[in-house]
Amino acid sequence: MKLVRNADPTICVACRGEWKNVIENLVYIVYAATALGAVALFVGLPRGDKPQRNGLLFICMALAAGVSYFLFDAILGSSDGKLPLIVLSLLSIGGALRMVTHPQPVYSALYFILVILATTAILVLCGAEFLGFALAMVYAGAILVTYVFVLMLSQQSTLHSDAFTQGFDYDREAREPFWAVAAGSLLAATVGAVIVERDWGGIEQVSVEGGENTVALGRILMTQYAISVELAAVLLMVAMIGAIAVARKHIPHAEDLTRRRPLGAAGREAKPY
Amino acid sequence: MEMAAPQVLMIVGALLFGIGVIGFLTRRNMIVMFLSTEIMFQGVLTNLVGMGLLRGDLNGQALGIFVLVIAAVEAGLGLAIVVMLYRRRGTLDADGWRTMRG
Repeated sequence: MKLVRNADPTICVACRGEWKNVIENLVYIVYAATALGAVALFVGLPRGDKPQRNGLLFICMALAAGVSYFLFDAILGSSDGKLPLIVLSLLSIGGALRMVTHPQPVYSALYFILVILATTAILVLCGAEFLGFALAMVYAGAILVTYVFVLMLSQQSTLHSDAFTQGFDYDREAREPFWAVAAGSLLAATVGAVIVERDWGGIEQVSVEGGENTVALGRILMTQYAISVELAAVLLMVAMIGAIAVARKHIPHAEDLTRRRPLGAAGREAKPY
Repeated sequence: MEMAAPQVLMIVGALLFGIGVIGFLTRRNMIVMFLSTEIMFQGVLTNLVGMGLLRGDLNGQALGIFVLVIAAVEAGLGLAIVVMLYRRRGTLDADGWRTMRG
């Protein structure tokens, strides 16, 4: 793995002086994108019996996507191959928005898979292949299957019932949409503004050649983080046992029943004819 | 492949985290609430990778692997709790557990 420190100054506008002029505008662009996204979320959240305003939602999402495209484009400057990165970022954020707003939980899970796959592609683009593929396997492969399992076990509705056509009423009504959207978007806008505003200095680029990322990551995990890896394994096992202990259904065995009966009381509970 | 991507990664992470917070606060279905926490984990992970790229080493990605582990643990335990609660109340509505407020 070789580090290229500021290989080409033009690939990152953020590193150079001209950045200062762009910053103030960029902060407002971050605010605008977050505000549009917040409006989209507010409009799109399910509201009881009122029909969902999908048209307005998609218009707001498209506007937010346009503004975000402009933002990412300005940040990335003239680096090559930026279009896939931008498109995948927008896909990921859009999928997350739709996941939160969709009134049917199964569709939420599917949109979550979309977010995972888009993030995976972003990570692969940025040279973090191992983490990306681990993400796809663990999330889209394992965790999501568990979620869908639990969903299908616990949200059964009979055909032609209200719940079948329109979803359960607790899925159709959001709780405190205004304040939640305000809090979350304020949080995202503040963090985004800080990220854009700060001069991160020279950006060191990890240049990765085929498969080297996995080797390097394995080496660092097995040396520097060896104890943490072991602890993570222990944690997984403890969580597995805990999940079994929490979720098991208590079914009394025949032995338990017989043992609980006191001596000499064998036929007492039999009803007299 | 060289690209000045860390800031984009970090912004995507921040937005995903914000969306996850909103989802956790607004949705009443317990499973969707847990999905929203997974979205928040995604945001943190993306942010960690971005920071790691900024530093130029692999510490960020190593921490990302641990985030993955914690997310898996959280999903397993969380879903076990959801299943247990569903058996007791017969609903996935988080408001069904209002009596638990202190």
